[in-house]
Order: sequence, then structure tokens, then C-alpha cells
Amino acid sequence: MTIARRGVWLLVLLGVALAVLAALPVEAQTAAQGASRDPAYRAFPVLGSRLAVWAVAQLHLNFAAFILGVPIFAVIIEAIGWRTGDARYDWLSHELVKLTFAAFSTTALLGALLLFLFVGYYPKFWTYMTSIFFPTYWIYAALFFAETFTVYLWYYGWDWLSGSRKWIHVGLGILSNLFGTAILVVANSWVTFMISPAGIDESGALKGGVWAAMYNYTWMPINIHRLIANIVFGGTICAAYAAFRFLGAKSDEERARYDWMGYIGNFIALAAFIVLPFAGYYLGREIYAFNQTMGITMMGGFMSWLWIIQAILIGILFLGSNYYLWLGMERIPGSERYRKYVPPMLIILTLGFMIWATPRSMVVTLDEARAMGGTHHPLLGFFGVMSAKNTVVNLMILTTFLSFILYRRANKIPTKPWVRTGMAVQWTAFAAAACVVVFYGVYGYFVESIVRIGFSVYQVVAVLGAIVLVMAIDIPMFKGARTTGQIRWGTIAPHSQYVLILLAVTFTWLMGLMGFARSGIRQHWHVYGVMRDTSVDAATPALGYAANVITLVTLAFFLLVLFIFWLGGLGDKGQAEAHGHAAPAIAAGRGPER
Amino acid sequence: MRIPVVVKVGAFAVLVMAAYSGFANSIPQIESKPPQELSLEGGNVTPAQLVKAGEEIYKTKGTCEICHRIGQKGTSAPDLAGIGARAGKTKPGYPPIMPAVDKPPIALNRSEVWALVAFLESLGGTVDVTLNDIPATVGAGGAGGAAAEIKVPGDPKAGKAVFMGKGTCLACHKAGDIPGAPVGPDLSQIAKIQTPDYIMKKILDPKGSGTVANFPPGVMPQDFGTRLSAKEYVDLVAFLLTLK
Repeated sequence: MTIARRGVWLLVLLGVALAVLAALPVEAQTAAQGASRDPAYRAFPVLGSRLAVWAVAQLHLNFAAFILGVPIFAVIIEAIGWRTGDARYDWLSHELVKLTFAAFSTTALLGALLLFLFVGYYPKFWTYMTSIFFPTYWIYAALFFAETFTVYLWYYGWDWLSGSRKWIHVGLGILSNLFGTAILVVANSWVTFMISPAGIDESGALKGGVWAAMYNYTWMPINIHRLIANIVFGGTICAAYAAFRFLGAKSDEERARYDWMGYIGNFIALAAFIVLPFAGYYLGREIYAFNQTMGITMMGGFMSWLWIIQAILIGILFLGSNYYLWLGMERIPGSERYRKYVPPMLIILTLGFMIWATPRSMVVTLDEARAMGGTHHPLLGFFGVMSAKNTVVNLMILTTFLSFILYRRANKIPTKPWVRTGMAVQWTAFAAAACVVVFYGVYGYFVESIVRIGFSVYQVVAVLGAIVLVMAIDIPMFKGARTTGQIRWGTIAPHSQYVLILLAVTFTWLMGLMGFARSGIRQHWHVYGVMRDTSVDAATPALGYAANVITLVTLAFFLLVLFIFWLGGLGDKGQAEAHGHAAPAIAAGRGPER
Repeated sequence: MRIPVVVKVGAFAVLVMAAYSGFANSIPQIESKPPQELSLEGGNVTPAQLVKAGEEIYKTKGTCEICHRIGQKGTSAPDLAGIGARAGKTKPGYPPIMPAVDKPPIALNRSEVWALVAFLESLGGTVDVTLNDIPATVGAGGAGGAAAEIKVPGDPKAGKAVFMGKGTCLACHKAGDIPGAPVGPDLSQIAKIQTPDYIMKKILDPKGSGTVANFPPGVMPQDFGTRLSAKEYVDLVAFLLTLK
């Protein structure tokens, strides 16, 4: 696509944004007068309003997560390339931003479509939200403009701001990430207000400033959770893109290049994924802090089975990520030393997966519970409680980290004189963290829930502490290490690429499921406890229906991604060498060390 | 024939998602439906019926079972076995997390609180609570807050005429000084115990709005929406909202 055509697209988007902004004050004035003549709801043809909003919101969030997540690690990769002078990283960063860039317009259009759906089909709800958040709309719009122009400058200025001006280019990348994160934070205030409203009086009117409504219980945890999840998501999509290109590669060089890209994408996803459960706990705690009933409904009420599905998906992500690392080790000379660790790690991950996926309650309705004389299975119920689940997920995180450490040192032999001590401290850190996790997991069975909840903090601190300590020793210990051979990029088993695709599909599906959970815990409320949903769609659907919707939307997302990436790639066809960002060669069996 | 990569990858992705969907459809399916409003006022309710209605609220709209158990030690809130005999005493050792049940999001109305208290009294005590024991302000906030509040622009005088004339409401309902047959509930205080939203819905869709306890279901005609003009309907609602 030429710059002129991109410019036309930009103008169209600006026109849409201005039209929306021009319409908003009318809504705000109506809200202030409290006398809207709009109906509370309108019906979207055929699909119904809820399904229409659901589908567009999920698609918008998928694209938004991608374009906000990828630039975070793209700029880090660019900075690594800049500081080390390694052209591969600059190429990869450019490739990643190119993918983001192609998805940028689609994200904005889906956002505008979502806004139109709210204004048109949920006018009363939108009027109310506007009466609270109107000042933030301007901030959002301003940030969006800033983000758009910065990303354009970042992408198109790649060659212009190279060499001695590279620091300006990296600065632009950082700036676009700051704007992007600010957009996320503003939008999160709207959605979290719907879950845990704050800053309003009993009638639902704003008491003081808009800040009080923004700074509600779930705002900060969702900011953190989404930020991390966006990085994971971006990593998995980039890895899947690389896998797709790897499978269709015509030459060893191309295969090697996309093998490397897939590895980096998976590494980024995995690194962020390891800390994601901790952010999830924080969010859960804040939901309980806001409203115990909501928290208990979420974990033990009609949604309890949702967490079993979530556990299965996360288990697949853990197993898949580890399996990919183990397959990847096969292309590293010297990794044979570490094969013996794979079976015990697999056992820990599988057992952890099974325990995490064990349901707390074997029934879902109160009637069924009464008929059975209880809600817990006499044996399996023992593993269904949070003590067991917290314990195994922490052990799974530790195991995954161990996988990564082994992969990292697969072709290296450290030469530092303090290697034995370093190794001993590392293994002790692993063992100590595992002991703390297991101890508090078992102890949790003997104390009240209010005490038990606090134990998860000790477990998390132990695991994170071990990760930090091990890495702090590992980096200097393997600096200047003797190598046992170069990584044979491109020689990884082709089915490993399907693992990368599995991870991307699973994480995207998981995002849809968590979106349903976040929205579903409000049950029959637009704004929990403040504005009731009196539409025909007030009931929260069952998991089967939700899963079908999630699948169809995820499918639509991947089809759109495929189309957009194809479009984005058209412009580069036949001019790769002339572009200045031609991929550096990473030929099979002779590629540079990672 | 060589299968294109895009087809292989696409089929694999679809298969994965189909498996997730299949599993989600194989587990027990349950919808979370909005709770129905219950009205007991105006009816001749016996203590046993009150207790029965209260038990239903305890298990459903009241969401009491989320925290409380009866005859079983709860993890979040006290065991309610025998609460009827020891009402008024607090149970130490639990955090003060009990929400105001007449306020959103639970938002029990006055009738529902009355029935719930009767049920709790029945757990080891004597059921002697009357409607007058429940403050008139209970549940006054309604379910939905100001954002969902409905203002009815009708004429109550004209609505009274509809009640006594074209609507033939007095054939089944008493309303303040208007004598009516006791086929349906006494509506003399309907505006105090029910939301405008409920009243409007009940006229248009009596069956879908539930039946008041101790009254036969399916008696109220379903055709008011077509029999009354829009003005008559709004006037009727405005009249009913004066009954406090």
C-alpha cells in the first residue's frame, strides 16, 4: 500500500473519529437533563443487540490487545538491536511493527463500530456512562491521535531515523507505547466502573470528579492484567505468524529466519505468561474486596465451571510452551545433557494440570447440590480447593521457568570459577521456593479461608524471588561461556510450529472466555448495583452458548488477521532487498548464536 | 495432491476451537436469569405460605446461600440453624461482609424481606412477623437506581376512571377507597411495595411477571396491551403509583 493510500485511510479514520466526537456532546447534554426521549434499547436485526455488541467488542479487544502488546516488545527488541549492533533484531522489530501497523486501522474501525452499537442499541446505558465519563472521552481521543501519529512516524521513519539518529527512533517507539498504554488505562476505567462502580451516590450520579469513578476497585488490577496479557497475546500471534511462514518457507534460510522469529515470539509470550496468574490473583482479590457476593458468585456460583475450562486452557498453554522448548532443544548441540530432566518436568506439569482442572463442585445448581447432600466430591473435592490449585500453579510456573533455564544453557558450558557455588545456590533457590509453595499449600487446609487467602502472597513471593535470584546468577555465570555448537535454526521439527499455532489459538480463545467472565459477573446489571439490564438479553447465557460465540468470533479474528497480514505483505512483495530491512540470513545449521 | 499450508493450519485451528467448544457444551449448562419480583401484600397469606415464599427467596434472589448454611458451618458467614431463637445476637468470628439486602444488587422489596424474615424465624423460633414490622422504607430504593428510574407522565384521575371502567380492574382488585372483589391482590399500597417498572410490566404481561403468592395463576387477562390505548395505559399506571 502506498503512502498516499495510507493517508486516505488515515483521513477516513479521522473523519469517523470527529463525527463521533461531534455527536457526543448531544448525548452528554441529554444525560445532564435527565430527559432522554430515546428508548432504553433497540433491537439489532437478526442477531440481537447483545450478540452484536459481544462479537464486535471481542474482535475490537483482540485487535487492540495485539496493537498495544506487540509494540511493547518491538521497541525492546529494537533497542537490543541498536545497542548490540545485531541487524537481526532491527529486522525483527520492523517486522513486528509492520504486523501491528497493518492491524491498526482495523482496530480503530472496530472501536468506532462498537461505539455506534452502544449509542444506537443501548442508548440509555450509553447516556448514563457519558454522564459519568464524558471528560475522559476527550482524553481518549487526544491520546488516540497522539498514538496514531507517533506510530506512523515510528514506522515510516525507520530508515530516516537510523544511524546516529537511532535514539530518536527508539524514543518514538517508547512514546507510542506510553500513549498506547494510556489509551488502555482510560478505556479500562469505563469497563471496570461497570463491574465495581465508585464515586457515585445512591442514585447513580457522580458525587465528585470523574477521577473517583475511574479509580474504582478493579481498575488498577485490570490495567496490570491486561497490559501483561497483551504482551502474551502479541507474542503468541507473532509466533503463530512466524510458524505459518516457517511451514510455507521455500528455502532453508527463510525457514531459519522464521524459526528464530517464532522462538522469540514464544519466549516473549512465555516470559510474560509466567507472571500473568499473579496479576489474576490480584484482580480476584480486588473483586472480593469490592463485593464478597460478586466474588463468591464468580468463583463458586454459576460461573464455577468456567474456571475449570480456564484451567484446562492454561494447562494446555503451560504444556504447549514447555513442549515447544523441549523440541527446540533438539536443534541445539549439547542439549542432550538436559534430556533427563524432561520426564520429571512433564510429570509435574501433567499432575499440576490435572489438579488445577479438578472442579471444586461437581454440581451447578442448588437443587442438585441438595439432592446429592453436598456440593463437593468426597475425594476429588480435596484437590478442587484453592490451596491445591495455588500450589500446583506455582509449581507449574517454577517448572516452566526451569525449562527455559535449561533451554537457555543448552549449548553453553560456563567457565566461571564460581560455577559450582552458583549452581548450588540456583538449585537451592528452586527447592526452597517449591518447599514454601508446598508448605503453605498444605497448611492452607488447616486454617480459615481469610487466613488462607494471605498464604497465596507468600507462595507468589517465593516463586518470584526464586526466578529473580536464579536469573541474577545465571546471566553473569553464562557470560563468555564455552559453546558446544551453534543453534541449527530452521531444523526444528515442523510439528513444533503447530504447537505455536495451538498456543495462539488457545490464548485468543482464553481471552474471549475471560471477557465473558468479566462481563458475566455483573449478571443482570449493566453497571453492577446501579443500572439494571432490563433488556430481553438480561440473562447471562450458559457456558456452551458462550463458548460457541467465542469460537466463531475467534475464527473471524484469525480470518481477518490472515487477510490483513496478506494485505500488509503485498506492499513488500518484490522489494524486500530494496527496502533496507531485508532479513539477515540465519541459515540452517550455521546461524549465529541467539 | 499437496495440501496448502493455509488449509492445514486453518483446519488445525478450527479443530482446536471446536474441541474447546465441545467441552464447554458437554458440562452442565446453566443460565443466570434475572430474579423475579415477588409480591405478597394484599393477599391473605398464612405463616406457612410466608415461610415457603421466604425459603425460596433465601435460595434464589436473596443469594443467602452463597455465604450462609443451615446446620453446617459456613466459611464466610454464620450457620443459620436456630437463628429464629437467637435473633438479634451477633455471631463473632466472621468479617462484617453482609450486604444491605434491600439495596442493589440484591434489592429485595418489602414483601420479600417480610417473607425472608418469616423463614428465618421458622428456624427454631416462632413465625410472628407482620408486614408492619418491616419499615416502609425497606426496598424503597428499588432495583436499578436512578439511571433506570421511570417517570410516568399520565393523569391519575383519568387512570382511576380506567381502573373502574374500561380496564375492569375492580372486578378483581381493591384499591384504596375503591372496593373490589378479592380475586386478585389488594392494590391499596402497591406503589409503596412495587417499582413502576414492575407495575407497568405486570399490566402488559401478567403471566411473564409471576403470580402473587396465594392467588391462582393465569387469571389476569393478557390483553391489556391491545385493549387499552397508550394514554389509558399511562394514566392507569399513574393512578396505581398514587396508591401508597
